[in-house]
Amino acid sequence: MAAAHRARRVLLLGGHPVIASVTRLACTAMPDVRVDDGDPSNGVEAMIGSEEPVLVIVDLDRRAGDGLTLLHGVREAGYTGPVLAMSERSDGKRVLDALRAQIQGYVVTPAGLAGLSLDVATLLSGGRAFDGLLDDVAVEELGRRVRVARDRARFTGRLTPREREVLSYLSEGLTLRQIGRRVGLSHRTVETHVGKLYRKLDVRTRVQAVARAANLGLLRVD
Amino acid sequence: MAQRKPNPTPSNRRRLGVVVADPVEVIASALAQLVDTHPDLADAGHASDPHEALAVIDRARRSRLVTLIGLGFEGPQDAYWLIREVRERHPTHGVLAIGDRAEPAAIGRALFVGADGYLDERSDAAAFLDGVKRAAEGEMVLVGPDIDVFGAIADGMEQPAIVDERLTEREREVLAFAAEGLTAREIAGRLGVRERTVTTHLSKIYGKFGVGNRVAAVREAVRSGLVPAGWSE
Repeated sequence: MAAAHRARRVLLLGGHPVIASVTRLACTAMPDVRVDDGDPSNGVEAMIGSEEPVLVIVDLDRRAGDGLTLLHGVREAGYTGPVLAMSERSDGKRVLDALRAQIQGYVVTPAGLAGLSLDVATLLSGGRAFDGLLDDVAVEELGRRVRVARDRARFTGRLTPREREVLSYLSEGLTLRQIGRRVGLSHRTVETHVGKLYRKLDVRTRVQAVARAANLGLLRVD
Repeated sequence: MAQRKPNPTPSNRRRLGVVVADPVEVIASALAQLVDTHPDLADAGHASDPHEALAVIDRARRSRLVTLIGLGFEGPQDAYWLIREVRERHPTHGVLAIGDRAEPAAIGRALFVGADGYLDERSDAAAFLDGVKRAAEGEMVLVGPDIDVFGAIADGMEQPAIVDERLTEREREVLAFAAEGLTAREIAGRLGVRERTVTTHLSKIYGKFGVGNRVAAVREAVRSGLVPAGWSE
């Protein structure tokens, strides 16, 4: 008995309208494919919905909302199928950030749009579609990040818990006296901690200390 | 196949020395032979024991040397320990992790502790050897893993950063034994130190992790990838 014929659902979280149109065309060139335009205002889970898509396409350059957050949201919503990311950016940071959402393809727009229907077909049949040039930039970015991770670990190890505490208060702009009152120490003792902190971070001013610590990931600066 | 030419050019001394360390002797030996077939690379010895590997590196007496380290080394002196050790003793050398379709998290951790890259033993021989050469130039090298696992490698690379470097080498050793369920007395026996010394190490580890007991310390260590994840409470 033939099952009720249903076209496979591709969820498109598009960016620029022109690129979205081209993407839609590339998908509908496949047999048995229909494209749903996702509306993120109801949340990612609602977009995934009850009928699991066979493919999710996310344009990372969305004007409304952060495309990268949306991309990761798709995975956090429990979707495990293939994901194709698109972006006009092909720098290491953008590529590796996208790769961390376990994507199966990355198309650099607009040049990559020419091969888009082939890429969609590849992903629908379980393959991968990455521009060969992305490999090198991603490896280079991995190299950069591993150096940052090593640096951070080295500095984290060197700071005592008290110094880390003082550092977080420094970043809030508290004076030595205010910090002293918070942690129950004299401002002179706090000053000593600050001096050690500066030496360890190899800086001379509070602003430098906070900037350096933020760079190393020791401080979350929003 | 590893017919050694009597006078290879450039001369043996000019070629880049390569040491292979892998727990599986035949792999270490076979890779050493493969390396020697390359005109720019020279077999500088191999070992299937981490301490022996360090001795082989010392004996090689070369300023330019790349060491390939199998991720299969386990126990307190595991692959990560060896990578870190080589990195600290010979900062100018190249260090590469090698494996047979290693988990991305393991690759990430190897990079974090100091490896210049990872070469998969199943990759094409020419690409493998080219990777060795590129690592010697200080380049980050990944031969084998496809781009879609790079994200998982990055995850593995950044997770251990939380606690790893805060521990001294001895503390890591003690922690690895503690994770196997050994008592302080047993750990002392293994390390040839007094029980009191071990409890001092343990309390320092607790302090660094901000935990109050051994179970919590080991849990923290497992979570951050310091000890193998097979351990369970």
